[in-house]
Amino acid sequence: MHPNLSFDQAPPISVPYRFFLTAPWFGMLAGLLLAWSGGDGLGSRWTPEVLALTHLAGAGFMLQAMSGALFQFIPVAVGGNVWRPRLVANVIHPLLVLAALLLVAGLLFSNPALLSAAVPVFLLGAGGLVAAVALALWRTPATGMTLWSMRMAIGGLAITVLLGSLLADALARGLNLPLIDLTNVHLAWALGGWALMLLAGVSYHVVPMFQLTRPYPLWFARGFGPLLLLLLCAWSSRLLLDDDRWTTPIALPLLLLFSAYAVMTLWLQYTRRRKVDDATSLYFRVAMVSLLGFAVSGAAVRLYPPFGDDPRAIVWLGVLVFVGVFVSATAGMMYKITPFLNWLHLQRLGAPISAVPNMKKMIPADDMTGQLRLHVLALLLLLAAVWLPTLARLAGFAFAVSCAWLAWNLIGAARRYRMFTDQIRAVALHP
Amino acid sequence: MTTVIDGREMQPPEPMERTLEVLELLPDGDEVLLLLYCQPYPLFNILRNNGYEWTENLLPEGTREIRIRKQPG
Repeated sequence: MHPNLSFDQAPPISVPYRFFLTAPWFGMLAGLLLAWSGGDGLGSRWTPEVLALTHLAGAGFMLQAMSGALFQFIPVAVGGNVWRPRLVANVIHPLLVLAALLLVAGLLFSNPALLSAAVPVFLLGAGGLVAAVALALWRTPATGMTLWSMRMAIGGLAITVLLGSLLADALARGLNLPLIDLTNVHLAWALGGWALMLLAGVSYHVVPMFQLTRPYPLWFARGFGPLLLLLLCAWSSRLLLDDDRWTTPIALPLLLLFSAYAVMTLWLQYTRRRKVDDATSLYFRVAMVSLLGFAVSGAAVRLYPPFGDDPRAIVWLGVLVFVGVFVSATAGMMYKITPFLNWLHLQRLGAPISAVPNMKKMIPADDMTGQLRLHVLALLLLLAAVWLPTLARLAGFAFAVSCAWLAWNLIGAARRYRMFTDQIRAVALHP
Repeated sequence: MTTVIDGREMQPPEPMERTLEVLELLPDGDEVLLLLYCQPYPLFNILRNNGYEWTENLLPEGTREIRIRKQPG
């Protein structure tokens, strides 16, 4: 196309890729941990195995994938620039990996020294990410609800990490704090204030763009984020007010809001004029159905005591939200972002348009849908294993293999980028 | 003359590819009208760096009309 066109200031391709290529390894570790521990490891939310699995998914897989996505989305979706992205990524990426591993090991082995060591590393890594991203998000002249949702999400991440650090420190040093209330508030900010806020904000941009739907209605995009923030603040009041009467009246509207986002996204997919059933669309559908399942099950936990009193009910919710909603949505996004990244950066080499391979050649469609099917099977096995402990090892193994396949597909995209780069440069040298 | 590219039902990066192809042959004084449901920041950066100007208009149903032309002079 345009040998004379100069391209934008997008971050080097290695910046998002290093996070994307790391994320699946945490999923593999989670699967292997469950396959190894097996048996009754999913018996309650407080077992060392479940605490470790939760943080392999949340502080490992999700944080890595979402950090990589943020570095890429800020210039592409809201026109901002992270200050020296390569330097920032070089510093925070290893810190976040180390912090997650220390935290998981500390929780799994109930080791105070490892928990204490995780806290400063997490504060440095996540603090650096929050500072760099917040600065870029506040300096961009762009407007719109994607931007505001990303701003609120980065605030949600800061609160999540501060509360998590306080919890880890309290566990390590035996501090006298309301650990259960603190955990519930930490979890709400992690899942709602950070992950769902970011997912919704990004959805406003990428669902119409990549899945060819109509845009989210303006009233919905304007209302969802602020309402979510308001309800999370109300949920956090439990730390100050020792009154359990408000728990259900706050939890139910929160779950209703989650359902509204899921139903709206499914409705937009259902009513689009041009049907595109690629891996990203299907992954989003799995995520939204899981979110609906989470909301219905969460309401049942609050309203139907025989279900809510079973300690496995909360683990069921955890599988739905971590694996069903967020691993699905982030895997689907990575399948769309990495080919787009390859294409964008190959264009920047200045080759004619005919020389730059189509996005569909970056990861074979069959490989993505095959991995998606295995992920869905693993999700169903994990959900079944909550109630049938004999399935735990098989479920863990299936999840580990599906994450390994995801890693293989993403590594394949990186390899093809190098191959196409070499081809384009060779043609430029010897036309 | 205005060349219309309706990118609302195209998967990225097709709208950007089509727009850049048309811009390469665009006579002075003519414009491209690109219809999208989102703001194409990567395209905006390319336009900014290569001497094009553009205006945006958001329609009530969510379509963005982006009119692109060469900067005068």
